Amino acid sequence: MTAGLDQETWQAALAEAFAADGVESTAWVPDKRLQPIALGLRAHGLAPITLTREEECVGYACGHRAAGGRPLVLFQCSGLGNAMNAIGSLAVPYGFGFVMVLSMRGTLGESNPSQVPLGRATVPMLDSLGIQALSLRDGAEAAVVAAGACRLAYDARQVVAIILEPELDRR
Amino acid sequence: MNATDVTRAVLDAARSALFVSSLGTATSALRRASNDGPHLYLGGSMGSALAAAIGVAVRCPERHVVCLLGDGEMLMGASTLWSLAGVRPSNLLAVVLCDGHYTITGGQPLGAPSAFAAVAAQLDLSSSVATTAREVTDAVHTLPRPALLEVRYDERAWPGPSPFVDPPLVRLRFEAEAGEVR
Repeated sequence: MTAGLDQETWQAALAEAFAADGVESTAWVPDKRLQPIALGLRAHGLAPITLTREEECVGYACGHRAAGGRPLVLFQCSGLGNAMNAIGSLAVPYGFGFVMVLSMRGTLGESNPSQVPLGRATVPMLDSLGIQALSLRDGAEAAVVAAGACRLAYDARQVVAIILEPELDRR
Repeated sequence: MNATDVTRAVLDAARSALFVSSLGTATSALRRASNDGPHLYLGGSMGSALAAAIGVAVRCPERHVVCLLGDGEMLMGASTLWSLAGVRPSNLLAVVLCDGHYTITGGQPLGAPSAFAAVAAQLDLSSSVATTAREVTDAVHTLPRPALLEVRYDERAWPGPSPFVDPPLVRLRFEAEAGEVR
């Protein structure tokens, strides 16, 4: 699938909204669908720091938050499995709110069998830790979802996940 | 030398630093050595302490940051050494407390060698091994950051204070210590 204009638009809109809503630092484990968001963040002076594992992104965000920052993390939903302990025994009990942008795999249009179980488990896993999952299916809603997620994370001190659903890639 | 002796030497050599401690021995020793100072004590999330310290270091580039880690913790989060070598915060020192055992779970031996300083050196991080309090002090004073200090000690005395910290209290005290609350 090529990165079309619509994709670039919602991904750029997300990056712009995060910058406008005061995100100060981004950590990620790279992913194809997240790449245009990363490029957009870079254009706003928020070039993502690449870490080796998803739980490192969570740990990084918790430390940054503990020091007064407004961190953002980006990774594929399969990495949520890696990150569950850091979320459940650090971010949630300590009240370190931040936004996670999860690129969804394993649902509509998935071709790789290995991606399906964790994709199906993503929202239940988040729910099991009391984390709100905000599904983004319409690129036109990118900015408002990003802004609302930032409020939840940085004002209400919640870990909040924006799920980048497959429907976003419709041309 | 025991974990509290090591931690006391690190604290004395880095009085103004922000401290992050991993669960178990490191948190208990830091509580004891600092008289329960306002540090970021982790009570869980094994393997995540160094990543949290990188987050603190990036957010507070004007402050020195020290991360106290158990050796089991460092093994579980070993990939973060590679992230540290990539991010290279110029204000972060990782101190690995090496007694070769998983203390809080009952003292089982690690199943892997302590080679943290050697690995860090391979990753182009400055590093050294200390076995005395004097060597700890010297290393904290002189190692260019980012750095890893591997401290080997034999006395496996439990430091004392509970490692089961109250997370919101830890957060509030550390936020105030770090100086900026939003």
